[in-house]
Amino acid sequence: MITVLANIDAIFRKELQSYFKSPLSYIIAGFFWILTALFLVLVSQQVIQYATQNDLGRQMGQGGGAPLDVPTLVLQNFLSVMGSILLFILPVLSMNLYTEERKRHTLELLATSPITNWAVAVGKLMAVLVFVITLIFPIAMLELFLLNAAKPAFPLQIFFVGHLGIILLAAAVLSLGMFISSLNDSAIVAAFLTFVLVLVLWILDFLGQTLGGAGGEILKHLSLLKHYTSLTQGMLDSSSVVLFVSYVVLGLFLTAQSIDLIRFQQS
Amino acid sequence: MIDVEHLSKTYGSTTAINDVTFQAEPGEILGLLGPNGAGKTTTMRILSGYLPASHGTARVAGYEVHESPMAVRQRIGYLPETPPLYTDMTVEDYLNFVARIKGVAAGDRATKITSAIERCNLQEKRKVIIRKLSKGFRQRVGIAQAIVHDPPAIILDEPTVGLDPRQIIEVRNLIKNLAGQTTVILSTHILPEVSMTCDRVAIINKGRVVSSGTPDDLMLQLSGGMRYELEVEGDRSYITERLQRVADLKELHWLAADELPEQRHRLRVSTETNADFGKQLAAALVSDHVGLYEMRKVGASLEDVFLQLTTEETAVEAASTIETDAMAETIQTDYIQTGETE
Repeated sequence: MITVLANIDAIFRKELQSYFKSPLSYIIAGFFWILTALFLVLVSQQVIQYATQNDLGRQMGQGGGAPLDVPTLVLQNFLSVMGSILLFILPVLSMNLYTEERKRHTLELLATSPITNWAVAVGKLMAVLVFVITLIFPIAMLELFLLNAAKPAFPLQIFFVGHLGIILLAAAVLSLGMFISSLNDSAIVAAFLTFVLVLVLWILDFLGQTLGGAGGEILKHLSLLKHYTSLTQGMLDSSSVVLFVSYVVLGLFLTAQSIDLIRFQQS
Repeated sequence: MIDVEHLSKTYGSTTAINDVTFQAEPGEILGLLGPNGAGKTTTMRILSGYLPASHGTARVAGYEVHESPMAVRQRIGYLPETPPLYTDMTVEDYLNFVARIKGVAAGDRATKITSAIERCNLQEKRKVIIRKLSKGFRQRVGIAQAIVHDPPAIILDEPTVGLDPRQIIEVRNLIKNLAGQTTVILSTHILPEVSMTCDRVAIINKGRVVSSGTPDDLMLQLSGGMRYELEVEGDRSYITERLQRVADLKELHWLAADELPEQRHRLRVSTETNADFGKQLAAALVSDHVGLYEMRKVGASLEDVFLQLTTEETAVEAASTIETDAMAETIQTDYIQTGETE
């Protein structure tokens, strides 16, 4: 057990180091920060504008219901936007996980070292996940900074559960993306296929609705969007957590199998 | 230390190796010699645990490769044909990573990395990013990677391929220095490499071990004992007839003799036994009035052995019988000449 943890740690450190050395990471980080910060401002503006109109309507006696909880609305909307942005970024992060190993012939080193495919896959996933958390962290701080003075009080529940949701979503997508990157040695193909797969999983909800019936229900349950949305509402639903974790385990399992298969295929 | 028995590997309908059997004793350097595509890499990949065998067993330090893969992986160092390098890491970081995944304890890591760096002469490049290293240095980092955990067995797939002559000598010396404490199996298609570095050789061709032994043994065993090269004058058939009377004569090759005057020939004769037949040979020729211009004892080169074992069947058969046919003569002179370029 200790050996396995030490192996995971070795892979984890090596991978993390390579993220901080790669120019691509900095480009992705810059892109992500600019885009999300921009959307945070835009979403806040829109919600505030909408709430002002709503208040104005009520004051003028045109109805409009209860006053809006602006911080909650901003956070919920922003988290769902950030989820969508991540859908484009995660495949780019996962595309190199194994394609690079294949190109550098280092799979042969890993496969002839006393380390299991699982340990390699877990180490890699942890490293890329830590990188994603590094991306999200400053943005989360920005949200706190923006909303801490707001009234009604800042919805801490949504903040924590929502960000947990982001991390779970990222882990699930990266794990599946890692599997796809282990299938061939072209990073572009891996990124594209991952994006397509994630898009399908994202919209399973709509597909389920159109299809209807028991099959539709199952599809709806497998949808990433549905579970992610419920987490961004601040609802810590165990079925959502289980679903994301299942995707993670599935990705790890398929990766380990696929790496074994590469050895059989090679002549 | 390394024990390979009846190993076979097939990919679909193609057979990569077929019933390969050989052993390597502790501390010995065993060379796998064979033309490209003979099955050397496949054999080594099975030994390293990278590929599963279709049939047969391979044991490293008593552990079966397929049954106890982790135990075997801890006990071998493996350098594939292309060194498996993380080019964005420095030499030191890379070796540290390899030492970790090979299970070197944290306390020993620094000493073992330093030792591997010193043994491979990489001191100056310790902090250099691998991407910036030349091919020769990368190959050395590849070897350092294979020895960093002090394994009892090391498998090197074509360790000197693509290096310049100076680097080749350095790598060979490095490999020789490993012997004694470590068992080394290396593959190559370069003959001088085998005679210079290996204690024993297994010649592989078309997936089979066609012969094995020490380089000297092989030369003796397969080249057929003693050999003489002669320059004589007279009628070919007459000379052949005279020579056949010499006891134990096994082979007779007519060599190219374009530059010689008419009726002058060059030929090579050999016997099965190691008894020196020079005296009888000279006596037979002189007493029968064959003009003798030159008589020289020649040693067989490993290349002769190799070519004899790996050239197409027809040529091998032809070589083992006395042959004066013009067609066979050209084939044989061709490869005999190649054999002597060393």
